[in-house]
Amino acid sequence: MTGLNMLAGWTTVGDMIMIEQMPIFGGYTGGIEETAICDVATTLGSFACFSGNFHLDGPIHIRWGVTTAKETLQVAAYAAAAIDQNTDLLLANQYYPMAGPCTEMCLLETAAQAIVDTASGRELLSGSAAAKGVVQDKTTGMEARIMGVASEATCGMKISDVNEILNKLVPSYECNYTNAPAGKTFQECYDVKTVKPTKEYLEVYDKAVAQLKDFGLDIKH
Amino acid sequence: MTARNYIDVYETYDRFAEGKKVSEKEWDYTIIPRNAQMMKERYEIDFGRTILPTDQDLVDRLFIAGVDMLITTGIFNPDLGTALSIEEDEIYEGLKMAPKKLKLGRGKDKCSCKARRGNTLRKPVIQGGPTGAPVSEGIFTQMIESYAQEPTVDTIVSGVLNTVDGHPASTNTPWEIKATMAEVRYNREATRRAGRPGMCI
Repeated sequence: MTGLNMLAGWTTVGDMIMIEQMPIFGGYTGGIEETAICDVATTLGSFACFSGNFHLDGPIHIRWGVTTAKETLQVAAYAAAAIDQNTDLLLANQYYPMAGPCTEMCLLETAAQAIVDTASGRELLSGSAAAKGVVQDKTTGMEARIMGVASEATCGMKISDVNEILNKLVPSYECNYTNAPAGKTFQECYDVKTVKPTKEYLEVYDKAVAQLKDFGLDIKH
Repeated sequence: MTARNYIDVYETYDRFAEGKKVSEKEWDYTIIPRNAQMMKERYEIDFGRTILPTDQDLVDRLFIAGVDMLITTGIFNPDLGTALSIEEDEIYEGLKMAPKKLKLGRGKDKCSCKARRGNTLRKPVIQGGPTGAPVSEGIFTQMIESYAQEPTVDTIVSGVLNTVDGHPASTNTPWEIKATMAEVRYNREATRRAGRPGMCI
């Protein structure tokens, strides 16, 4: 009830309301299609009953605890496309990759979700909580850089072409889920005084971009 | 039937208060899986192998399945142990109230979040940040600055301070409030340090 009471206050003073919800694939909602149906239903409910101004999604995998698995990407893509094609609602998604910062896997996971969210018509991409968002200080601005760059490169592409990229990209990191690199902390990835990324992370980033280009994503800069 | 009016938070509370009694166990283990499975079959929802949908009719059926799921199932309130119900017209009335465009931030750092409709050339808003991941007090501002200084980032999403003044920011204690206020200050300071003081947080 606390949430409803706070919502009453926020709506009364005219605050912007974001409603967040993370459907769990493999949980009570069941399989991919059932989870997507519940995702659509709860997204609509957030606007119809809770005065939402935009909705923050985050389909999460019950086994891996990530948003970047093929199944959760499918849930997010289909739910977003269904709502996007039938309404003008503002839709967002959040990012929980498996691998930690300063690893190619983390950047590829983040890019894959950015590609999916962009192509399925979402309006806002929110992330990224690397290392599943549970390890202290294991998030940095470089993951947001790849999220933005991958999104920009995807805008306007044909969906069939995007699917071809995803068919190569997603398996390239999913095979490492049982042995994902833990990555490094912010303090190890950046000079904390100047807030500049380390040479090591820049090199890892360039390798991930090269990999994305090999898969067919036309990243300009 | 056309909706009497838009369902606001007060109407939502009343519907919960007068809603059908249901246990959390029944909701989680019976009602949700049974209804979701029923909708999947009723609307013949099968995604196949592609990650992004290419079948427009399937996408439309999924939308209708979601609407039907909400009407058939309602929304559960675990505190009251009740479920509210909602009609189809009331759902669409609520969707009409939702904004199609939001202005985020202020001044030169303001950005616009507008309905895109498919994979248009206009990129989505990029909200950079730890997305609720735990962050040390000593580097909180610098970490947020690392997002704010990225040209592709439009707005900031905060992390969570583990401690405030060295004290654990425990849930449901005054320290939680102090930590939240500190997060707001650190986030704003980070956007200033990045030269983008009007960025939306």
